[in-house]
Amino acid sequence: MIRYVLKRLLFMIPTILITSFLIYFAMDLAGGDPVNTILPENATTEQKEALREEMGLNDPFLIRYARYMGGLVTGDMGESYVTGLDVFDRFMQCLPMTLALGGTALILACIISIPLGIYTALNQNSWKDTTGMVFALFGVSMPNFWLGLMLMLVFAVNLNWLPSQGAEGPKYLILPALTVGLGLAALITRTTRSSMLDVIRADYMTTAKAKGASRRRVIYYHGLKNAMIPIVTAIGMQFSLVMTGSALAEVVFSWPGIGRLVFESIDKRDVPTVTGSIILCCILMSIINLLVDLIYAFLDPRIKAQYSNKG
Amino acid sequence: MKRILAMLLTLVMVFALVACSSGNNGGTNNGGSSNNGGSTGGEEGSTPGVQGTLTIGIASDINELDPQQQNDQINNNCIALTHQTLVFLANENNDYLPSLAESWEWTDDTHLVFHLVENATFSDGTPFNADDVVFTYEKAMDPDRSVVAATLSLVESVEKIDEYTVQFVTSSYSNELLAVLAGYPLVILSEDAYNSGMENPHYVGTGRYIFDEWVPGQYVRFVKNENYWGDDPGVSDVIEFRPIIEAASRVAALQSGDIDVCIDPPINELSFLEEDEDITVHNQAGTRLFYLGFNCESEPFNNQTLRQAIACAINRQEIIDGVLDGYGQAQTTVVNRGVWSFYDDMEGFDYDVERAKELLAEAGYSEGELTVTLYISNGSPYTSIAPMIMQYLGEIGVGVDIQQFDEATLKTQCQDGNQQMFLWRWNVIDRLDEIYTELFSTDYATNYHQYSDPYVDDMAKQVLTEKDRDTREQLSIELQEYLVEACPQVPLYTADLVIAYDKNLKGEYLFGGGNHNWSWAYIDLSGSEA
Repeated sequence: MIRYVLKRLLFMIPTILITSFLIYFAMDLAGGDPVNTILPENATTEQKEALREEMGLNDPFLIRYARYMGGLVTGDMGESYVTGLDVFDRFMQCLPMTLALGGTALILACIISIPLGIYTALNQNSWKDTTGMVFALFGVSMPNFWLGLMLMLVFAVNLNWLPSQGAEGPKYLILPALTVGLGLAALITRTTRSSMLDVIRADYMTTAKAKGASRRRVIYYHGLKNAMIPIVTAIGMQFSLVMTGSALAEVVFSWPGIGRLVFESIDKRDVPTVTGSIILCCILMSIINLLVDLIYAFLDPRIKAQYSNKG
Repeated sequence: MKRILAMLLTLVMVFALVACSSGNNGGTNNGGSSNNGGSTGGEEGSTPGVQGTLTIGIASDINELDPQQQNDQINNNCIALTHQTLVFLANENNDYLPSLAESWEWTDDTHLVFHLVENATFSDGTPFNADDVVFTYEKAMDPDRSVVAATLSLVESVEKIDEYTVQFVTSSYSNELLAVLAGYPLVILSEDAYNSGMENPHYVGTGRYIFDEWVPGQYVRFVKNENYWGDDPGVSDVIEFRPIIEAASRVAALQSGDIDVCIDPPINELSFLEEDEDITVHNQAGTRLFYLGFNCESEPFNNQTLRQAIACAINRQEIIDGVLDGYGQAQTTVVNRGVWSFYDDMEGFDYDVERAKELLAEAGYSEGELTVTLYISNGSPYTSIAPMIMQYLGEIGVGVDIQQFDEATLKTQCQDGNQQMFLWRWNVIDRLDEIYTELFSTDYATNYHQYSDPYVDDMAKQVLTEKDRDTREQLSIELQEYLVEACPQVPLYTADLVIAYDKNLKGEYLFGGGNHNWSWAYIDLSGSEA
């Protein structure tokens, strides 16, 4: 098992190398002179050239990339062209905020969606099922940008119950977490429902019922446990996406997370921040995927055995 | 199941606490006082009847508060709170008023002498004197220590005459030097603070507020300088700028009371805001000119008649109505509205499709023969204007290929001369040389028109140095007429300054171009109770 984990961690190295090269290359292809971002518009040509030389921008692409990767190995991801702040520090400053938002949203989504998914599966083809699926369809279809603004208008502007933006305490988390969480809930509801429908007619479920197990035990112990693998996969994938893709909710609610950092950095062509943040996101996603795989092992002894054999 | 639910709820609380605890992490501060990061909106501060904190919602975060290492408007809005210049630009008539200098005079063509106030002190209690002025400008003129050195190219040296008198030695007389010195990148710094070895000595200024804390992406906060030397101190205890980059969210934050001032409210929401009786929508003439520029150096726009044809094809008023909902003013001249010697009575090239077609033919092009590229920057208003220009030029048989870039890339493309047409803006409050020299003089870095004309170069210098006011005005008008005819750009409109704020806001000091000074602004709570 430990060897499996180590192997997976080693696989992250080529992933990071390829990602960093592609990102660095893409940012380079985009053209534009970072000196124009850093210096005022009327800076002299001499000042611009001196800064270009100082930053090594006149060097060939591969040398600049090698220098960047050399810095990366030693934990130096450079400084923002716009703010001069250390990229790694800035990312780590945003990471807890995104973890908090993504984690809360995902847990909210699980609280809503797993019971709803089970309920709709148990009431398949009834009006209850249809209502649940309409909710799911609504959640999937609704842009969270729009949902965020609607929640803000209702709860912040009209009712004045919650703050409209900021990140200074738990109450500031409610609206952005709801915005992200409702979209996730929809997807997890659909996955839970279909996964439960698959197991609900399985022989072991009939056996459990025949042996006199209570309905609750049949559904939650025998049914849900076996249906969990696709659900955990969906949750894991959603969490990866939330970690890196809740930019719109972060922008709408001025939540100072990674998504907003990348959004603003792209807008201002802050190459070191964009490159560094995407590489760190890539590492983060790899770790989350690894954790999801490890959770499989705890849920399903067959997978654990496979890992052990491979290890 | 209950256990799982309990666990999930516990996790929710843990994440919320993480969010709560990390809310104030990572900020840079001066070690001064700091509240818990929440807005104190609505609560009375130390001044009776005045809200303690004034919160201003801004469209993008600050990025640098070292005055000489930046020249961004939002940074300058902050620096205006903490520092002061030698002279102060009044917002109503563009007069220069005493600030850290109580008087000044040109003693001859190359010497400008300033007599400094004698009672000013920095926020750390140290007195202000001529050494600080000399230190500030010597640092500013050193390109290794300042990114705004180019603005002082005329200044040869700054000398201390006595404790409260300094003399600027220039290579020639300049009508614009006072205006340059009134710019916020050139606020006076404390020599003692720099020599003390303290971290961030640039935070020490003579202004009405003291920098307290910057949490990137969340807020930058200033607290009132209780030892301010002047007789018109700040009123609010705390002034915070909060970056809310989504315009609709900024409006919602204003309506919910989370912020007191909303900078750049979206035009399409102004009608809703105007209906809100708790909010004032302020509108005044702006100084930011948006224009369609040509690359005058290369094909096809090295052809003046073709440039004129394009100018005639564009319906400026329709752009103002469509993009700004009428919140702007069309103009013909290249000088920003409100700048001294602004003259807009020349014939120019107004919207006239038939004339445009004639000029196009005169330029040697038949309808459908020409397709040109239009380089624009991402975002508003460029992405709205560009399709309209495409449509107008389509009416005279000129195709347009719109290419969109981020701002830094667009600037590089324009400096390299890769553009044929481009959309850009130029904000000028008072300095004519920012127009004639920086936009149209040969080889100037921001001459994106790649325009080169010895007559314009010479006239720009004359306007800069001519001492007789009437003669200078005449020269400026002649140059405007010449440039409109030469047509290196089609001025589209000057956007109005539109800003929304709490109806009880008092003491605001606004500039049409956005270089506001919030030093005296506060929310009058007695007004809200009434």
